[in-house]
Amino acid sequence: MANFVQLVILGLLAGGIYVAVGVGFGLVWGVLNIVNLAHGALVIIGGYITWQLFTALHLDPFLTLPVDAVALFVLGYALQRGVINRIIRAPLLFTFLLTFGLNLVLVNILLLIFGSDFRSVTPAYAGKGFEFGSIVIPYVPLISLGAAILLSAGLAFLLNRTRIGLAINAIAADRDAAQLVGIDLRHAYAVTYGLGAACAGVAGGLIALIQAITPTAGEPYTLQAFVVVILGGLGRVSATVVGGLAFGLVEVFAQSIPGSGSVFANAIAFGLLVLVLVTRPQGLMGRLR
Amino acid sequence: MIATAASNRRRQRIFLIAGAILAAYALLAPLTSLDAAQSANVPLLADKFWFQIATNIAMFIVMATAWNIIGGITGYAAFGNVAFFGIGAYTTGMLIAKAKWPFLLALPLAPVVAAAFAALVGLPLLRLRGHYFAVASLGVGVAVGELVQNIDYAGQPVFGGASGLFLPIFRIDNRGLFFFYLMSAAAALSIAVTWWMLRSRLGYGLIAIRENEEAASVLGVNTTAYKVAAFALAAALTGLAGGIFSQWNVFVNQDNVFPITYNIQMILMALLGGTGTVFGPATGAVLLYLLIQFLGGTLPISFDLPFVSSDARPIVAQVILGLLLVVVVIFVPRGVIDFFGGRTRLSVAYLRRSLRETSL
Repeated sequence: MANFVQLVILGLLAGGIYVAVGVGFGLVWGVLNIVNLAHGALVIIGGYITWQLFTALHLDPFLTLPVDAVALFVLGYALQRGVINRIIRAPLLFTFLLTFGLNLVLVNILLLIFGSDFRSVTPAYAGKGFEFGSIVIPYVPLISLGAAILLSAGLAFLLNRTRIGLAINAIAADRDAAQLVGIDLRHAYAVTYGLGAACAGVAGGLIALIQAITPTAGEPYTLQAFVVVILGGLGRVSATVVGGLAFGLVEVFAQSIPGSGSVFANAIAFGLLVLVLVTRPQGLMGRLR
Repeated sequence: MIATAASNRRRQRIFLIAGAILAAYALLAPLTSLDAAQSANVPLLADKFWFQIATNIAMFIVMATAWNIIGGITGYAAFGNVAFFGIGAYTTGMLIAKAKWPFLLALPLAPVVAAAFAALVGLPLLRLRGHYFAVASLGVGVAVGELVQNIDYAGQPVFGGASGLFLPIFRIDNRGLFFFYLMSAAAALSIAVTWWMLRSRLGYGLIAIRENEEAASVLGVNTTAYKVAAFALAAALTGLAGGIFSQWNVFVNQDNVFPITYNIQMILMALLGGTGTVFGPATGAVLLYLLIQFLGGTLPISFDLPFVSSDARPIVAQVILGLLLVVVVIFVPRGVIDFFGGRTRLSVAYLRRSLRETSL
């Protein structure tokens, strides 16, 4: 029983990362109708910014998260305004390939700058945690989960309570009507992608805390972001939060299966994905649109 | 207008003849390396290293052309076709390495098993559309590779595990040539199948599905059967290439027959050449494969990139490839077959029109 509780806790904590990775991906997908294959590259850029600030200036890694967000917002805004807006009305295959190309460029530029060495961020409290009898709650994942929830809440607030957020919602509902009422589509699209990139940057900062990063370490997170968003249901931040936590639970329980459970992590994740897509395509929390 | 049409037809004919000459050269040049030709003092028309490149190109022609059947003609963005390549390779590999079948008997089973698998997963997956189908098929591609590597039975890996499968070498004179012609035959077969499809009831049904699935269904196209047939056909051709690859390469493991990058490469090739056409994907495969190898510095003809050290070379090559991808997608969305086929001319006006068509 204690073991089960421990697994549930670890699963929810692991889910924090997936929430952070998923919300930005889901926003871009839901509003711009782009499956952003460059998401993993943006994530890992955030990771490198955190690593650089931590090693050079000895900043607490969690304090570097706002820097990640701002830097990636600027990058994301520029990418959408300068490049992705050019093919926004093309069929989905083209956005797939364009973002894949961007991913290739970004990852390889990182390789040129940082090389392929593993980089890790290890503050003094890494690896420590609360202990309640046999149950352990490690600090870093706990704060990460808190940061991810805060990020999601901030994003939801921005989308539902601010002028630009309402404009983004209007675009998601009907692009042509949004343009008719005077929304500057180019700007609003770029802000949306920028916000998605900012979330990716924060996720990258959190990821640098739990694993050693390389320029290619972000790629699995693109796939996992897919699964998380589909699991929760496209179109709402809260649904992605549920999807992320559920994915963390599935992953931790899959890895705890004795024998070769851990090597099937991807197969289990994608098996789950296909199952959800076929039986409940609107996601766990989604509404049919 | 009439003059343009005539000049377009003329250019189309020129490109057709040039392509035929190039293909004939590629197919005949290797023959000059045969012992008989060498003893008759026929000059060697191609370095032996080129056979390997040509065989790889033929392999990618099969994959890109096969992808075109499901992705280009049917309009379903399949992102996991590498699964069929791997399944084909492992089918042939297992039959040869474990069951000791002869290669020529084991090869026909590769497309059969790949097609059966495609039909099985296609039934649920092809109900999904757009992004959802793309993601789910990508998931199948990843999951199959992982399962094949990790399935154990009674403590023993069933499919060779992480160390892969080693096949006995196929004993035949001029092995390199044999596999080159075998792969070229597979490439010709895939192009012939596409040519036939675009003139058949099946092809018209699939195009109808691509343009408007509901309308196709109302008109009496059995959309499920048609889509599964297209998926299985693409899988069979890809699996055939995988089967040939396994015996050619002699070694099969997760990394060399389930690489995720193949998924992207075959799509990119089809797109670069022109999706939905007969020769587009093949053209794209030749161009892109040569370009990738050229940038990576692995071709016999090479060059130095300015300001780039030899260590950074492969990385810079990837950056260039990514930038090229971005440029092609933005400016040449219908593929280069438009120019070669004489339908349009490469001009600033064409590039500007492509840009305007899709930009915000």
